[in-house]
Amino acid sequence: MYPAPFNYHRAGSVAEAISLLSNLGDGVRALAGGQSLLVLLKARFDTVTDLVDLGRIRGLDGIEAGNGEYRIGALATHARLARSPVAEAIPIFQDAANGIADNQVRSRGTIGGNVSSGDPSCDWPTLLIALDAQVHCEGPDGKRAVPVNEFVEDLYLTVLGDGEIVTGISFPAPEKGAAGAYVGFKRCAPAYPTTSVGVQLTMDGDDCKDVRVSLGSSGLTPIHATGAEAELRGKLLTDDVIVRAADAAVAESDPIDDQRGTPEFKQLLINTLVKRGIGVARRRCAGEQVEVSHEYY
Amino acid sequence: MSWVGKSPRRKEDDRLIRGQGLFTDDELGEGMLQLYILRSPYAHAKINSIDTSAAEALPGVACVLTGKDVLEHCDPYMQLALEPAANIQDYPLARDKIHFQGEPVAAVAAETVGLAMDAAELIDVDYDMLDAVLDVEEALKDEILVHDNIGTNRTWQGVYEYGDVDKAFAEAAHVVKIDRLHFHRYSSTPLENNACVAEWTRQGTVEFLCNNNFPGFAKQLLAPGLRLPIENVRVRTYDVGGAFGNKIWNYVYMALAALASRKTGGRRVKWAEIRTEHMLAAGHGNERTYVDTEVALDKDGVITALRSRHLDDCGAYTRYEPLGCVIFSQVLPATYKLRNIRIEMNQAVTNKCPVVPNRGYSRMQQLWFMERVVDICGQELGIPADEMRLNNYITDFPYETPNGCVYDSGNYPAMLDKAKELLDWDKWAAYRDQARSEGKHVGIGIGTTLDSGTNNFGQAQIMNPHLPFSGNSEACIIRLDFDGAVVVTLGTGPSGQGHETSASQVVADELNIDPSMVTVRSGFDTNWNTFVGHSGSYASQFAVTGLSAVHGACQKLKTEMRKLAGFLLEAAEEDLEFGVGEEGPQLKVKGTDKAVNYWYLSNIVNNNNAVLQGALEDVTLNVRHVYRPPFNVPDVEKKFGNLTLTYAAQLHIAVVEIDPATCRVNTLAYAAVDDCGTVINPQIAHGQVHGATVHGIGAAIMEAFDYDEGGNLLTATFSDYCPITSMNIPDIAYGNIETPSPFSYNGAKGMGEGGGAPLHTMSAAVQDALHGAGVIVTDSFVSPPRVYELLQNPNRETAVSVG
Ligand SMILES: Cc1cc2nc3c(=O)[nH]c(=O)nc-3n(C[C@H](O)[C@H](O)[C@H](O)COP(=O)(O)OP(=O)(O)OC[C@H]3O[C@@H](n4cnc5c(N)ncnc54)[C@H](O)[C@@H]3O)c2cc1C
Repeated sequence: MYPAPFNYHRAGSVAEAISLLSNLGDGVRALAGGQSLLVLLKARFDTVTDLVDLGRIRGLDGIEAGNGEYRIGALATHARLARSPVAEAIPIFQDAANGIADNQVRSRGTIGGNVSSGDPSCDWPTLLIALDAQVHCEGPDGKRAVPVNEFVEDLYLTVLGDGEIVTGISFPAPEKGAAGAYVGFKRCAPAYPTTSVGVQLTMDGDDCKDVRVSLGSSGLTPIHATGAEAELRGKLLTDDVIVRAADAAVAESDPIDDQRGTPEFKQLLINTLVKRGIGVARRRCAGEQVEVSHEYY
Repeated sequence: MSWVGKSPRRKEDDRLIRGQGLFTDDELGEGMLQLYILRSPYAHAKINSIDTSAAEALPGVACVLTGKDVLEHCDPYMQLALEPAANIQDYPLARDKIHFQGEPVAAVAAETVGLAMDAAELIDVDYDMLDAVLDVEEALKDEILVHDNIGTNRTWQGVYEYGDVDKAFAEAAHVVKIDRLHFHRYSSTPLENNACVAEWTRQGTVEFLCNNNFPGFAKQLLAPGLRLPIENVRVRTYDVGGAFGNKIWNYVYMALAALASRKTGGRRVKWAEIRTEHMLAAGHGNERTYVDTEVALDKDGVITALRSRHLDDCGAYTRYEPLGCVIFSQVLPATYKLRNIRIEMNQAVTNKCPVVPNRGYSRMQQLWFMERVVDICGQELGIPADEMRLNNYITDFPYETPNGCVYDSGNYPAMLDKAKELLDWDKWAAYRDQARSEGKHVGIGIGTTLDSGTNNFGQAQIMNPHLPFSGNSEACIIRLDFDGAVVVTLGTGPSGQGHETSASQVVADELNIDPSMVTVRSGFDTNWNTFVGHSGSYASQFAVTGLSAVHGACQKLKTEMRKLAGFLLEAAEEDLEFGVGEEGPQLKVKGTDKAVNYWYLSNIVNNNNAVLQGALEDVTLNVRHVYRPPFNVPDVEKKFGNLTLTYAAQLHIAVVEIDPATCRVNTLAYAAVDDCGTVINPQIAHGQVHGATVHGIGAAIMEAFDYDEGGNLLTATFSDYCPITSMNIPDIAYGNIETPSPFSYNGAKGMGEGGGAPLHTMSAAVQDALHGAGVIVTDSFVSPPRVYELLQNPNRETAVSVG
């Protein structure tokens, strides 16, 4: 499989990337790890005139912590993130990074590209909603930060303007005692999840002090399940409460009918995964080491 | 010391592991053109016009082929079917109509594949879409015709009737009616896609390097299709990355590379299919629907009779079909002793990808059906699955089935015992009962299956009495090279089955040497003279046909070597022994140190023959042997005769737990017991069992070719189709028993297809788990979304009735 011909440009800096992307017309696209873009181009589902490779821009792949937040460069790969101190500190991070596709894809694919794909099946946007992250963008009009749940507007469509790129992600360091879980249901490693759920929980004794719930592959965009959160926040986490939260999450979802299943089947999974995610997050809040990621066929 | 029965290192692995294999797409060459095939986006459409001018004008494009070229230079491929299906016009490219999504419409040869793809995008095809017929029952109504010229979609119909079915039903204690069963579409998706390199030489011959797995047959269809004498077509294979039967009819597309070579003045042209093309158009496994099934049983649950109608969906072209409508009858009663059977077999074309033999071809569909019948009857009558089988298994061998097939040997109860032991049956049975009392869905399923091997091609005459095929054969040439090396060539064209290794084991035993001293030439070449019309790797036959040919050739060579050595050593032939001496492999006069080594023998014949002074004219040390199994032509009217020589068997047991929260079918334990008679190479046999098991589990829970109402294939990429990966495979406890075949010289039975055992087993296990929830498993595909549907809509009320 070979893409149609295109011109290749290698950007040396963010400024150069922005300038190239702004001046090469409608057919230009940024290239990061290529794990979504090249797949489309090779299948000729999409054609471009020009690609601007961001891969060699220095300083765009940092993974840092400090001042109560984490900052991750757009070019950080899934594989590096999975092995990073962030993953060690925040279990939900590891859950997600290890569950993305296979080694080859994880070694090339980047968090910036994953978020920029605007694909509701991609794991990072869903996870990052649970962590209340900001997407840092830079374009011809300067820099801005967009909350991740506002970043993806529609299927494969983000708020990025012409010439604008994602430079990084940041999110507040979770409170002490907070923990989360990112769980999905998948057919096999190289397939996207059938559905996935992120839960980030802050407990106060047996009560839920704060919570964020997000749903992936559950609609045309990643979903911030605020209804589910409302069922949980400030409550004693009884089975009843958790059931209501799962039902609320299902009500907020709108999964499509595709090879992975019917909407009804996916809603069963969403229901299950929300409960499972809350269960794991809660045990982790209590200091337990729990290994989870996805469940495979 | 015997090498047969041991697992010496596989000869093939060294080059394969080092990346030194030669797969067709690895072939490079100066000036080689690359072919890309433009395929129809529609399932059923009329082609109004094709404009190739922009594509032809693109620099780097050498030629563009359309239906016009094909009409000018090709004849339609011969069809195996009877009239009217025999008149299906099967060409390498569509002419005026599209019959399935992915059908080739045009082909571009260019300097690079990328350019060829660019050019293909510039081809303007004007289509008129037509309504598609995608379901076999709809197709049989003939309201929408796939091929207008034959006036019907039906490609075959025949009744297989034996015993006294009506009487058995009249006397039955129970009659179980099963509304409808369905065996889904999938394939074994070999890692290497179809590929070929073709050159139309100045002498008017065509040279193919390809990965077809039945080249003896392909050549006989390809040459007339290209309007060439058969001798003018050379077909060569080397390493093949899996075939599973799926590469049998890639000759259809190979012709395009040849035509492109011809059109470009003889440049070599490579065609290497991409994965999506493979999924769309390289051939799917047979899809089958079973209706009006009725089963008669006595009061103990012994099945006495069966009647049903089977509807096979062969996709848009028949090609190797309707052979499947006969092949299934190799295992008509499966492993069961019922004598009264009436099955009406039907087949129709639909607007879907044509079917191709797929690991377990057509027998698997029948075996799955029979296993469903046994399990549904057992479950409905309250007879446990193991008891049901023990009540019904065939136990005396050789056993002649009602339709005249002879099961050579076997011991199904022993396999059941062994599988139970491997699984720890009692533990899991207790677990199941406990889990059920807690409301969990746990099930244990048994699948018994047959891997019938070494076809009698005479069965093709049951399908079409005019076909000039019968019996079976395989060829081997063995010779001593100038330096005395033992060189073996085979007609088998393996695709990963380790023929080089097992053939060398047989030769080593015959000559009393080490397998490392035997060179087995890999691949297949019609220029080598080592082939017959049946040559190839398909239908579980190598251990019988291939190794019998090797064995026969060894006997001939040994006779010559004895004569020659006896002459040279002035010794009686019976005083000579084969072995290895200080100067390598040799013949020695027993009890003496008088010996000649292979170099000496070979040199006499090849370089130094005056020594013989005219004696031993018939000794060439280069012998050819063709093995022919003892078959008769079946009785076509009665559909009676022995259709296969050996019957390997598999018995699998799975324990599954279905989590209602995800509908995942979680396999808690899995045991696979194999009986392929005398095992030649245990490691290879184990590998084949493992591979077949994994393929079957994948088919049962993950893999399906699903079409939408428009005839668009929804699972045309690996991401959507999701072939099974290591993460999805349960631990497989493997065991084997050996019931040597009385019909093969070595007691071996062909093996490798595994008869789809995991499909039967997984269906049975899911059924067992969900029967309490009112579910009858009526489809071979039990993925989580399907299990969800079953749990939402329990079907027991409508799917089955007991009278
Ligand atoms: C077989 C397979 C399975 C996969 N399975 C999963 C899975 O289970 N879960 C999952 O989350 N992902 C999965 N992926 C996708 C993978 O994670 C991709 O890496 C990711 O989606 C894209 O990142 P990338 O760096 O490769 O981006 P690219 O492919 O290079 O780019 C993707 C898109 O983002 C744009 N882009 C890239 N970087 C930037 C930037 N910094 N600023 C603005 N725009 C940018 C590009 O223009 C393009 O439109 C899978 C991919 C494959 C091939």
